[in-house]
Amino acid sequence: MGAKLRYAMVCSSNQNRSMEAHALLKRHGFDVSSYGTGAHVKLPGPSLREPNVYDFGTPYKSMHDELRRKDPDLYKRNGILPMLKRNLGVKNAPQRWQDNAADGCFDVVVTFEEKVFNIVIEDLSNRKQVLIRSVLIINLEVKDNHEEAATGGKLTLELCQEIESADCWEDAIDDIVAAFERQHKRKLLYTISFY
Amino acid sequence: MAAMTAAGWGERAVGLLESARTAGEVPSKLKQLRQLKAVLLHRDPPLLPEFVTRLTELQSERASPIRKFLAEMIGDIGSKHIELLPEMVPCLIAFLKDETPAVARQAITTGTSLFGYVLEKLVIQGLYSSEIDDSTKSSWAWMLKFKDAVLHIAVQSGSDGVRLLAVKFVETLVLLYTPDPYISADPPQEPVYGLGFNISWLRGGHPSLNVGELAMEASQSLGLLLDHLRSPQVKSLSNSIIIVLIKSLSAIATKRPSFYGRILPVLLGLDPAISIVKAVEVPGAHHALKTAFVACLECTHSSAEPWRARLVEALKAINDSELSGQATNKNSGGVSISNEESLPLKDDNSSLQACDEASSDLVRKRPVAELNNDLLQDDCLSVKRIRQSTHTAQDLPNEPLQVTADQESNSVPVVGSVSSRDKSSGPVQQLVAMFGALVAQGEKAAGSLEILISSISSDLLAEVVMANMQHLPPTCPKTDKDDVASETGYPSCLDSSVLSSIQLSPLISDIHSLSSLSPLLASLLNIQPSMSHDVAKSHQSSEEKVMDTVETTLLSSSGGDGGAMMPVTLPASVSPFPVVTENGSSVVSLSLNSATEERVIPGVDSTSSIDEIQESHDASHCSNPEVNDSSQDHATSLGSLVPSNILSTCSMATDVSETQSTGVGIFDTSQASSAASLVTSCQCVLPKMMILDVNLTDEAKDQLQKVAFVRILDAYKQVAISGGLDARCSLLAHLGIEFPLELDSWGLLQKHVLSDYMDHEGHELTLRILYRLYRETEQDQDFLSSRTAISIYETFLLAVAESLRDTFPATDKSLGRLLAEVPYLSEGVLKLLEGLCCPDRSEKLEKDFQNGDRVTQGLSAVWNLILLRPSSRARCLLVALQSAVHSAEEVRMKAIRLVANKLFPMPGVSQKIEEFAHDKLHSVIDDVPAIEDMDTDEATSGLQEDSKLGKPSSSRGQQSDNALKSSTHLDQNVMSSLISEAQRCMSLYFALCTKKHSLLREIFTIYKNISKAAKEAVHRQIPILVRTVGSSPELLAIISDPPTGSEDLLMKVLHTLTDGIVPSQDLISSVKKLYHSRMKDADVLIPVLPFLTKDEIFPIFPHLVNLPIENFQGALSRVLQGSPKTGPCLTPAEVLIAIHGIDPVKDGIPLKKVIDACSACFEQRKVFTQQVLAKVLNQLVEQIPLPLLFMRTVLQAIGIFPSLVDFVMEILLRLISKQIWKYPKLWVGFLKCVTQTMPQSFSVVLQLPAAQLENALNKHPVLRPPLVEHASQPNIRSSLPRSTQVVLGLVQDLQANSQGQTSQSQAADTGSSTADVATELTQESSAVS
Repeated sequence: MGAKLRYAMVCSSNQNRSMEAHALLKRHGFDVSSYGTGAHVKLPGPSLREPNVYDFGTPYKSMHDELRRKDPDLYKRNGILPMLKRNLGVKNAPQRWQDNAADGCFDVVVTFEEKVFNIVIEDLSNRKQVLIRSVLIINLEVKDNHEEAATGGKLTLELCQEIESADCWEDAIDDIVAAFERQHKRKLLYTISFY
Repeated sequence: MAAMTAAGWGERAVGLLESARTAGEVPSKLKQLRQLKAVLLHRDPPLLPEFVTRLTELQSERASPIRKFLAEMIGDIGSKHIELLPEMVPCLIAFLKDETPAVARQAITTGTSLFGYVLEKLVIQGLYSSEIDDSTKSSWAWMLKFKDAVLHIAVQSGSDGVRLLAVKFVETLVLLYTPDPYISADPPQEPVYGLGFNISWLRGGHPSLNVGELAMEASQSLGLLLDHLRSPQVKSLSNSIIIVLIKSLSAIATKRPSFYGRILPVLLGLDPAISIVKAVEVPGAHHALKTAFVACLECTHSSAEPWRARLVEALKAINDSELSGQATNKNSGGVSISNEESLPLKDDNSSLQACDEASSDLVRKRPVAELNNDLLQDDCLSVKRIRQSTHTAQDLPNEPLQVTADQESNSVPVVGSVSSRDKSSGPVQQLVAMFGALVAQGEKAAGSLEILISSISSDLLAEVVMANMQHLPPTCPKTDKDDVASETGYPSCLDSSVLSSIQLSPLISDIHSLSSLSPLLASLLNIQPSMSHDVAKSHQSSEEKVMDTVETTLLSSSGGDGGAMMPVTLPASVSPFPVVTENGSSVVSLSLNSATEERVIPGVDSTSSIDEIQESHDASHCSNPEVNDSSQDHATSLGSLVPSNILSTCSMATDVSETQSTGVGIFDTSQASSAASLVTSCQCVLPKMMILDVNLTDEAKDQLQKVAFVRILDAYKQVAISGGLDARCSLLAHLGIEFPLELDSWGLLQKHVLSDYMDHEGHELTLRILYRLYRETEQDQDFLSSRTAISIYETFLLAVAESLRDTFPATDKSLGRLLAEVPYLSEGVLKLLEGLCCPDRSEKLEKDFQNGDRVTQGLSAVWNLILLRPSSRARCLLVALQSAVHSAEEVRMKAIRLVANKLFPMPGVSQKIEEFAHDKLHSVIDDVPAIEDMDTDEATSGLQEDSKLGKPSSSRGQQSDNALKSSTHLDQNVMSSLISEAQRCMSLYFALCTKKHSLLREIFTIYKNISKAAKEAVHRQIPILVRTVGSSPELLAIISDPPTGSEDLLMKVLHTLTDGIVPSQDLISSVKKLYHSRMKDADVLIPVLPFLTKDEIFPIFPHLVNLPIENFQGALSRVLQGSPKTGPCLTPAEVLIAIHGIDPVKDGIPLKKVIDACSACFEQRKVFTQQVLAKVLNQLVEQIPLPLLFMRTVLQAIGIFPSLVDFVMEILLRLISKQIWKYPKLWVGFLKCVTQTMPQSFSVVLQLPAAQLENALNKHPVLRPPLVEHASQPNIRSSLPRSTQVVLGLVQDLQANSQGQTSQSQAADTGSSTADVATELTQESSAVS
C-alpha cells in the first residue's frame, strides 16, 4: 500500500517506556509519537514520597537541568539524567495523551501498562467518532524500569515492524499477535477503536 | 492567482484532470488530483457538476491510491453538495467490492459520514416543510442503496478490515435510526444543520420517513450484528471482528439503553463461549467484553438497572477473584454526574429496587423494604418512626442477640441506605449490597462472607469498608430529597450503625488503629468537607440553622459536663439529626450513642425537649468560642491519637456508667450495646475534629503528623516495659512505610530503635522495618517506589549497623545477629564489615587493643554470614580472605585462624579459599622483589644463608652470607619490610597446609623462584608448619622426591623434623631413599645420622668426610651423640678407625679431606681422649695393611697427649716387628716419630735391624749423636748386636764417625720436629693423591 501507519507510544509519564520505544522506532524510520496518560509527569526524587513532579509540556531539557542542579550524583546513579538526555534528543517535552486531539489520527497505539491501555480506550471512546477510522490499540506490559523499558522497546519495534509489513493490519492482527505471543512468551492485549 | 477568472479555473481544472490521468507515476497523479480537488471545492464550486462525471471515470484507475483518494474526494464533495451524490454514490458502491481493502474501507468511511449528512438533511427538511426537494430524495435513495450494499458486506465474510468498518456502519445506522434518550425529543424551533438530530423528532410526522419503519430496520440491523455473536457463528469470526462487534454493541447498549434487553443477553451469553473456546489465547476479546460490561454497568438509564446484578456477576466471573480496579476507579469518577442527569427521570425508589434486585438474596425481603418505605412516606411519620425506632432501641438492650440475628430489620435498611445515599452506584456499592445480603443471612452465610472477602482485592475491600463507614452515625443521611433522607435515612442509620458496629467491629478496630495513620486522616479530611458541602447544598438554610443549633447545643451542654472528649464526640454522632428536629420530633437520642440517649430519651416522653435544646442553644452562643478552643486543643492532641482515643473510650465508659446510675432503665443491661457504641463513638472522633481543623496549614499538618509519630514511638517505649511488643513491631514498621517521607519518619524510627536497642527489641523492630522495605522493593510496582525503597533500606540498615558498631562493645553479638537476619546485605554494610575485619593502618595505631576485638567481632559476623547466607557467601568469604592477608599481623592471624580452622573445612568454600591462598602465594614471586644483585648471585649459586639460624654453613654459604651482610647493610629496612610483605602473602597458604598437606608441595615448587626476602620468610615460617604437620605421608613424599631447587628448604625441613624428636622410620627411609635416588649429597643425611645404625653409617662415612669441614663436624657430633634412645651410634674410637679406613683412591675422597676429618676429631680432646686414641692406635696397628694415615695419627696423638709416649713406643716396637720399613710412606712417618720422641725412642730405634738403623740414621742424622751416646752406656751396649754397634760406630772407626754426625744433626733439628713431620706428610699425601 505504501501508506505509512502512524504510531503512538503511550505510558504514564512519557518518560521511560514510551520514550524508549519512541526513540527506537524513530531511529528505524517510523512515523511515531509518544504520550503519557498521567495527570503529571513524575520522576523519582530523593525519597519515596518526594517525587519530582512536572506538568506535561515541561521541556525535558529544563527537567534535566533542574535535576542536575539538585543532585547530580543521585540522578545520574538512578539513570534519570541519562534518560532525560535521551529524551531531549527525541523530542522537546512530554505530551499528554488526553490532549493530543490536535495531533491527528493514529493507526496504532502501543501502551505499556494495562491501566494506560484502559485510559486510552476510554479516552478514545469519549471522543466524537466522526472519521470512522479504525485505530489499533495494543498493550504490552512493561515494568517501569530502565532495563525492562529497553527490552520493551525492542519488542515494540519488532511488533510494529510486523504490523507495518502487513497489507492490512485489520486482517493480519490476529496472526501477528499470536505469533508474537508465541515467540516472546508475552501476553498482548489489543482492541480496536475508532476515531 | 486571485485574479484568475472562472474560465481560467475551469481550464486549470481540466488541465489537472488530464495530467492526473496521463501521469505515469502514482505520486504525481495524486498531487494533480489534490490540486484539482482544491480548485473544485474552494476556488470554483460551480465547476463541480461538470467534473463529477469525469471524476467518477477515475474509478477504473489501476493504482489503488488513486481510487482511495477518489473515494475520499467523493466524501468531501458530497458533504458539501448533496445534490451531486446520485452521480457519485454508484462509484462508492462499486468501490465496496474493490480488490484493495483500503479502497473499500475508504468507501465505507466516506459513505458512513455521507449517510449521516443526507439523513440529517432529509429529517430537518421534512420537519420544517412538507416537501422534500428531488435532489435530496434521490441522494437518499442512493444512500439507501449504499446502505444495503454495506449491510451485505457486514454479513459476508471477507477482508476483516473492510468488515470492521461495515460493522461500524451498522452501529451508526442503528444509532441514527433510533431515538436518542439523551437529547431532547422535541425538535428545535429553527432548522439547524450539522449539530446532529434525534430521530424521535419525526414522531410528529415526516413526508418520507417513518419512525416505526426506521426503528424496525434498526432492530433488524442490530439483529444482524447480534446474530454474529451467537454461537456457533461467533467461532468463525476473527478476534478483531469480535472485539469490534462487542464494542459496537456495548456502545449501542449504552447509548440506546432500550436495547439492553436484546444486547446484554447476547453479550452475557458470549462470555462462557469465549472463555471456553478462545479466552486463553485471546485476552483482547476478553478485555473488550469486560470493558463493555463495565461500560454497561456505568450506564444509569433505567433500562439498564435490571441488568446490573447480572453484569456484576458476569464481571465477577470474568475476573473471578477481583473486580478490576480500573472499573472501580472509573465508576467513582464520571458516573455521578451522569447520574444526576438521569435521576430526575425516575423516582429514587427505582434505584432502591434495582439494588434489591442486585442482591438477589434480598428479594424475599423486599416487602419489608416497601413496608419501610410506606411507613416512612406516611404523613404522621414522626410518631410512627419514633415508635418503631424506640422499639428497636428498646429491643436492643433487652435482646441484643435478636438485633444481630434480626435480619430483616438489619439488612434492608442497609441496602436502602446504600442506594439512597450514595450517588455513585458502582461495583463498590454493589459489593456493599452483597455484603449486606450475606450479613443478613446471619451465621449460615459466614462462610460465603469469608469467601467473598478473601476473593476481592484489598483495595476494593478497603473501599467497601470506607463506603460502609459512611453508614456510621456521623455521616448518616444525606440525600437529594429531604423527605426520603429523613425517612429512609433515619432507621437505616440506626440499624446500620448497629450492624456495622457489631458485624464490623473487628474491621473497625483495624481501621481505627489504621486511622491513626496520617494518609487516612488526610482522606477523611477530603471526605468531610465534601459531605458537609452536600448537606449544605441539599438542605434549606433554616435546616442548617437548626442543625447548627443542635450541634452547638449538644456541644456546649456536654462541654459543660466536663468530659474531656465529649464535645468532640457528641456533635459527630448527632450531625444527622437536623432533619429530624425539623420534623418536629425530638428523637435526637437514637443515634445509639449512649450518652446522647441519656439526654434524649426523656425527650421522647416530655415535649419539652425542643425547648431545652433551644435554651441551651442560647446558652451556647457564648460558650461557642470556648468549645472551639477546647476542640482545637484536642486537634493538637490528635498528634497522639492512640492515647486520646483511649482517653475518649474512658470518658465514654464513665458516661455509660453515669447513664446506668441515673437509672434510665432501658440501658441498665446494655453492656453489649454500649461497647458497640464505644467503638462507634471513637470512630466518630476523627471526622468531627477534622471539620474543626480543616484549614490547617501544610506545616501544621506535618507537624501534627510528626508529633503523632513521636507519640506513637513514645507509647511503644511504654509498651516495651509492659511487654507484648512483639506483635506491635510489624505495625510500627508498616507505619514507617505509610508515613510521608518528608517528615523523616525513618530518622525518628532509627532513633527509636537505637535509643535502647536491647530493651525496645530494636533487633526485632529493625528486622520488621527492613523486611517491610524489602517487600516494597521486591514488589517493584513502579520505578519510583522500588528505587526509593532500596535506598531507604540501605541507608537504614547501614545506620543501624554503624551505630551498633559504635555504641556496643566489641563483644556484643547484636551486629552479627542483625546482619545474619536482614533480608539482604547491601554493599554499604559489607563495606562496614570490611572495615571491621581489615582496619586501616592509621586507625590501628590509634586504638590498637580495641581494634583487635573489633576484628574478632567482624570476623565472627562474617563467619556467621558465610554459614547462614549462601547468597552472600562469596562476598563475605572475600572479606575474610582480605583480612587474612592483612598487613597487620594480629589481624591477619585472627582471620587466618577463622579461614583455616573454620571455613576451610567447609566443602563449599574450600576450593575458593585454596585458590585465593594459592594466588597470593604466587603473587610473592612477582610482588616481593629481590634486592638488586642479590638475586642474581642467589640464582647462580642456588644457595641460602643460614647464619641467623645458627646452622652450620658451607663455604659457599659463607660466601653468600657475606653478600647478604652487604645487602642488609645497604638496606636492612627494605629487607625486613619485604620479608613481612612476603609473610603477609604466604601465611594463609601455610595455614592451609596444616589442614591439607597436599598443598605443601607447592611451597617447595615455587621456592626456587621466589626472592631472597621471600625465602627468608619461608624459612621463618616453615619450622612452625613442619612441626605441626609432622612427618605426614605427603611431606615424606616430598622429601623423597623434592622439586628441584628446593634443597635448602628441604634441609630446613629435615632439621626441623629431627630437631629434638626421634624421626619416624618412614622419615628415615624417605631420607635414605632421597639420598640414594636423587641427591648424593650426604648433607641430607646429617639430620638423621643419629638414628642410623652402625652398619648404615659405615658405608656412607667416606661421604661424610668428603663434606665441607663444618658439615662434617656437625655430622661428627651427631654420630657421636646418637639418639637418646639408642645412645651413640659410633664410639669416638670407631669414628677414628672409620676415618682411617677410608681409602682415598678407592672411595674417591681427597686425602686432604680425610686429614681434615682427623684433625677435626683431634680437636675435640674431650671426646677423643688419650684412652680413645690409645685404643684406636692399638686397633689400627693390627690392621693389614696399615692405614695410610696411621703414623700421622700417632704423631698427632703424641703431640696432643705427650703422656702417650710410652704407649707409642710399644706401638713403634710392634711396627718394627711388622717391618715398617717395608711401607715407604709409613716408614717416613715412623722415623719422624722416632726422632720426635727422642730420647724415649732410642730403645725402639736400637731394635731396628742394622740396615734399617743405618737408613734411619742417614735420613735423620740428628739421631745419631744422642743415640750413640745412649748406646754407649755399658748395660745397653752389651745387649746390642754387633751389627748395630757397627752401624753406631761403637765398634771402632765406623762408630766414632757416625756418632759425631748424629749428634750434630740432632742439635740442629730438635726444635722444629713437628713442623718437619707436617711438611713431610704433606709431601707424602700429595704424592699419594
